[in-house]
Amino acid sequence: MADVRLETQDSMETKQYIVVQIGNEKYGIDINFIDNIVRMSKITRVPKVQSYFKGVMNLRGEIVPVMSIRKKMGLPEDVITDASRIIIIKLEEKGSIGIIVDEVREVITLNMAEVEKTTGKDSFINGIGKNGEELISLFEINAIVEEKEMN
Amino acid sequence: MDVSQYLEIFIDESSEHLQSLSDCIMTLEKEPDNKDTINEVFRAAHSLKGMAGTMGFKRMQHLTHDMENVFQEVRSDKISVDSAMIDLLFKCLDALDQYLENVKGSADEGTEDNEMIIKELNDFIAKANGVDVASAPVAAAPVAAPVEKAAESANEVKIQLSDADKDEIAAAKEEGKHVYAITVYVNQECLLKAARAFLVFRAVEGFGQIFANHPSSQDIEDEKFELDFSFCVASNESLEAIIAAAKDVSEIDDVVGKELTDKEAEVKVETPAPAATPVAAPVQADSAPAPVVKAPTPAPAAAPAQNQKKQTPAKSATNRTIRVDIEKLDNLMNQVSELLIAKNSLVSVSSSENGIGGNQVFRENVESLERITTNLHESVMKVRMVPIESVVNKFPRMIRDLARSLNKKMELYMTGEDTELDRTVVDQIGDPLQHLLRNSADHGLESAEVRKERGKPETGTIFLNAYQEGNNVIIQVGDDGNGIDVEAVKAKAVERGVITQDQADVMTQKEAVNLLFMPSFSMAKQITDISGRGVGLDVVKSNIEALGGDVEVKTKLGEGSTFTVRLPLTLAIIQALLVKVREELYAIALGSITSIEDIPVKDIKYVEAKEVIHLRDTVIPLVRLDRVLDVEPKDDPENLTVVIVRKGDQQAGLVVDDLIGQQEIVIKSLGKYMTGNKLISGATILGDGEVALIIDANTLM
Repeated sequence: MADVRLETQDSMETKQYIVVQIGNEKYGIDINFIDNIVRMSKITRVPKVQSYFKGVMNLRGEIVPVMSIRKKMGLPEDVITDASRIIIIKLEEKGSIGIIVDEVREVITLNMAEVEKTTGKDSFINGIGKNGEELISLFEINAIVEEKEMN
Repeated sequence: MDVSQYLEIFIDESSEHLQSLSDCIMTLEKEPDNKDTINEVFRAAHSLKGMAGTMGFKRMQHLTHDMENVFQEVRSDKISVDSAMIDLLFKCLDALDQYLENVKGSADEGTEDNEMIIKELNDFIAKANGVDVASAPVAAAPVAAPVEKAAESANEVKIQLSDADKDEIAAAKEEGKHVYAITVYVNQECLLKAARAFLVFRAVEGFGQIFANHPSSQDIEDEKFELDFSFCVASNESLEAIIAAAKDVSEIDDVVGKELTDKEAEVKVETPAPAATPVAAPVQADSAPAPVVKAPTPAPAAAPAQNQKKQTPAKSATNRTIRVDIEKLDNLMNQVSELLIAKNSLVSVSSSENGIGGNQVFRENVESLERITTNLHESVMKVRMVPIESVVNKFPRMIRDLARSLNKKMELYMTGEDTELDRTVVDQIGDPLQHLLRNSADHGLESAEVRKERGKPETGTIFLNAYQEGNNVIIQVGDDGNGIDVEAVKAKAVERGVITQDQADVMTQKEAVNLLFMPSFSMAKQITDISGRGVGLDVVKSNIEALGGDVEVKTKLGEGSTFTVRLPLTLAIIQALLVKVREELYAIALGSITSIEDIPVKDIKYVEAKEVIHLRDTVIPLVRLDRVLDVEPKDDPENLTVVIVRKGDQQAGLVVDDLIGQQEIVIKSLGKYMTGNKLISGATILGDGEVALIIDANTLM
């Protein structure tokens, strides 16, 4: 963590991301959108809603919808393990939503100048950052919570 | 003076007075001779005037002042109420409403002087007096004049001068000083009047010599005066400076003054209008819930009005605050104390070492905790409940205006205005109801001629009935007009391409009527400014559905139609039955459940290939919850557990696997992300932290 802080001071435009593992890839989620990271808990199925929703969970007395990002991105069904987590994302307008990820790895700080921007109309990714040798795909949060699904 | 802290109270109470004015004027229109109502109107106008003046809203004050004048004339039988006057009074109300809206928005009344209305009001008085003069040339006119004057000016200089005083005046005048007579009005809430008087004297002393106190200085010191006292002062300074100094003393409502000529033996002079404006202390705001309105000391004719003013019933406010019945709060308080006691005894049970009988005590305490929390929930809910009165009481006026503009005769009958609903629901139900009423007035009712031809009474009837039914409140809005022409609706729908001719042919009446609720489906042959612009029943429907309610229509061509709006009593907490479908838990609002039946599978019949059961002479369609909820199918057991739910006169039987029990549940929304699910109206968190979804049985009918 000490390193991280030092880095923040050095560069002007940096952002912190939480790196999560989904399938074989690593994704970065802008830390500003993250309200909480919780262990898997009981998810109650809700019938007749968008198929990528796993259901709702009880997050300290609040009902929070939980979605499978895998399903939304067209990846194979989630395999829930001990490492699985639910990332709670909170948006001003629409409220909280949970996203299931295979594993939470670390927090990284990226210098925005070194992030390679990507622009794809139907993409959930808005850039690619490098963490040492690893490539991290950066999620576009708004695209993720929107209703469309990747075919 | 800063009166902004009183703004909310002013808005609250002004709205009340305006509503009561509106009600009264409606009554007056029917019973022009109703003395009580005339007095009531006078009082309301008078109070409004006082409040507006206190807050410094001059235009509002001016208008109410002139209204008051007109009513002064009516009270003294100088003029009688006719329809022209009623129209004018309603115009006044609209203008006052506008002022109040402005105040709400910007804490300022705006700049509209409404001169036209004021002129019309004055014309009335002039005309009234003119007529009087004509009919009783000598006697009436002089009598009318003073009465009118008395009503015009609230505060006046009252002073009596003795011979000695007159000498003093003369002496002062010789010295080249001005002599002023001054009357000071103390706020009626003032507790230490003598002290205030003393402060006034001290403030004025600096300007010159004070004499001719009335009442005497001794009486003033002993507080032997009502709300005003007078004195003369000889000074070189201007009258304005002295009045300003006296007004600086707090709890002084008004100070009026006049320069005396030495010839005046007794002064009883009207003060000019600006000086009559009560500027100082407004309503004593501390906590008084009843409308305590500071009135400028009323003119003689208004005296009885002041005595009765405080009895004006306090109606519920329409703004963001809630006025809570003290009894409801007391109940809450009691339950909270019970809760504390139960908690304390639980604590002591858990800490006591003695295990004998501990279990028994523990169970008892848990039971009592359960009872208390249930009651507590109920009480809090009740605090949120307000009568729909605050919304519906503007409708009579609206119908009256509609009758005028549509040139139809109609009468609105309302019942159940005291039916209570959750505050949030009440706030939002106004527009849909208004829309339905306009609909009835415009499309429903026929013109008087047509009604006559059809053998109906010329005056059409529009009704609004509200009542409670289980966990719902029902509001019916309808008319005895033409009803909905189902064939015309179908034709229109076919023409619009909403349905095909084939579909139209097989449509039931009910299905056809429901077409009216489709977006942009207006039946109006011509667009009026009242309705028929295509933003219609679909908006009503969606508004009501957003509140968790629904709306239904019944109609008979030629006899009228009735819209039935069903609303949940409260949005937050309901009694629900928990049921199990396979391994999943669902909650069904108890209010919609009529019974629970054990039905042998062999008793299931088929109607149009749909499963039905025959129960106590009614045929009830079965709904397989496992199918609508997309759970794993399984083979039927020998007997099915069927929950019978009802919506209006429709019933359905929901097949469930198991009953868990009745529970009070807190409704939580599923949020904005999940869409396309009308069947699930929300979720709740059970005691063990599990989430159960709430089934909206209404969608299954």
